[in-house]
Amino acid sequence: MKGTEAIPAQTFTHDLLLHDGPDQLVDGVRAFVDQGLRSGGQVLIHGTPGQLDTMRDALGTHARLDYGLTSDLFRQPMSKLFATQRLLAESPYPVELWAVGIPSPTPDRAMGTRWVRFESLINEVLAPYAFHALCAYDTRTAPKRLIATGRATHPWITSQGYRTTSPEYLAPGAFHCTAWARVPGPVDMRPEVNVVLHGMRDLPRARQLVARAAATGSSLPRDEVVGFITAVHEVLVNGLTHGLPPVYLTMWAKPSTLTCRVLDTGPGISDQLAGCTYPDPAGPKGLWLARQLCGDVYVTNFPPGGSCSVLLTT
Amino acid sequence: MEWVGRWPTSWDGHLALVYDDEDQRRAGVAAWGRRGLDVAAKILYTEPAQEPPERSFVALLEEHGIGVDAAVERGQLQVFPASAQAYSPAWQASVVEGALASGYPSVRWSGEAATAWGVMSPAAHADIEQATDGLCDSGAVSVLCQYPSDLSPTTWQTVVRTHRGGVTDSLLRVSQVLGGLGLTGEVDASNVQTLSALLMAIGAWLAGTDLVLDLGGLTFMDLAGVRAVLGATAAHRGRGGRVRLQAPQQQVARVLAGMGVDTSTGCRIEGAP
Repeated sequence: MKGTEAIPAQTFTHDLLLHDGPDQLVDGVRAFVDQGLRSGGQVLIHGTPGQLDTMRDALGTHARLDYGLTSDLFRQPMSKLFATQRLLAESPYPVELWAVGIPSPTPDRAMGTRWVRFESLINEVLAPYAFHALCAYDTRTAPKRLIATGRATHPWITSQGYRTTSPEYLAPGAFHCTAWARVPGPVDMRPEVNVVLHGMRDLPRARQLVARAAATGSSLPRDEVVGFITAVHEVLVNGLTHGLPPVYLTMWAKPSTLTCRVLDTGPGISDQLAGCTYPDPAGPKGLWLARQLCGDVYVTNFPPGGSCSVLLTT
Repeated sequence: MEWVGRWPTSWDGHLALVYDDEDQRRAGVAAWGRRGLDVAAKILYTEPAQEPPERSFVALLEEHGIGVDAAVERGQLQVFPASAQAYSPAWQASVVEGALASGYPSVRWSGEAATAWGVMSPAAHADIEQATDGLCDSGAVSVLCQYPSDLSPTTWQTVVRTHRGGVTDSLLRVSQVLGGLGLTGEVDASNVQTLSALLMAIGAWLAGTDLVLDLGGLTFMDLAGVRAVLGATAAHRGRGGRVRLQAPQQQVARVLAGMGVDTSTGCRIEGAP
């Protein structure tokens, strides 16, 4: 890479590649991939089928170089993120991963929100590991807003061969307090489920209600619903044990999305990123498990400074 | 929120109902009684001779909206005062024979273990439980024994060994299978204690060998359930025994994988979807 130092191996790095077309994209990705292969790590490039064809033509093949579809990564980005964390945390031998992400040129609004959350949380979830990400944004087609959030979610920026730290970068905790993070508020529609739990014995009934509302109110695949119900259950258990009963469960169902809010009456939670880092063997694991099993988990204090409120979505 | 237990649907066989408190016991016994009336069985119940009226079986059913006057009137429902004779296997067999001879398609019998312990030693009662398992072999007789959940490990061993139909609470039924336990229903933070106690008891007598956990009938398991399995089998695994988790359904397989159980020392998941 011209004029800048190489990406250090054995650490976490997350770079934004700003490019203005295929030539700069290929150059930037090639520099990253070369370093990855030289470090002895595994390299994976995500793109659309067309982008992958371009990359394969330019970069060729290598035993440690793989290509994957961005659409697969987009389907359940959080569970992919935590699967990567587990791979890195649980591997008995040292693993170094180098991943390239080329977002779809035309993300829809919901996907855009998911992607932005993913881009920020990766800085927390994978921080302790030898993991390197390069996310390529096309300055000609990407909306201004996406570029701005890219600058705020990537600690480093590469542009025209130069790698610098991003002055606009915000750590995940700070980023989640910005409007960019778009933490959803209570859904503006009539809830399908609205119940109060006083103790553990109310849990089976709560699961039953969530399952029924998911079956009648949405058309999501079964594995997504199963993961969502399990995640909601774990957050309810958390509310009953670490917070205080009564715990209020509210659920909204749309054909493509399920949303639950779990509100306890305890003192609130200080760490809004609880459950992001790989847990200690003896430590709490409920939120970490919940984050793996559903689309996203938003932890806040509601009202501000008050009890713990957790919003879960498929 | 209104608490809805799911209870076994058939209540067939020789079952142990475990309960944490009186409300849970009453709810289980009421569900058992309702099922017995539904299948037109002869219903027999043993209770202490001096049982206060509000604690009686008939009052319990009435409290749950089950009218029994007619059943008592025609002799379908009969309550026996506890005595050493009322637990004699020979006498029990003759009562069952009489009921079947008079045309009832099946016989259901229940009582609290504490009632038996009031008239005999726990050791003598354990022998009777063994005989009762034989009595239930024919299929026409089902017996429900009510046990509080705070039992000693030895008593748990006896209970799981002598109740071929399994040990049940409102969500989960645990029964003995070859080399271990079979789980049916749901395990969560509200009922993990029973599973823990049973695993500790069975782990102790399977010292050093494989412990099979047949998860095929388990539809839900949470983090607390996984912790219970790992915690209660830690000693067994520490002695070199393995835990074989067989045939988990989709939800259970995901939680086991999410908790890294597939990589835990001494655990093996077999036949995941």
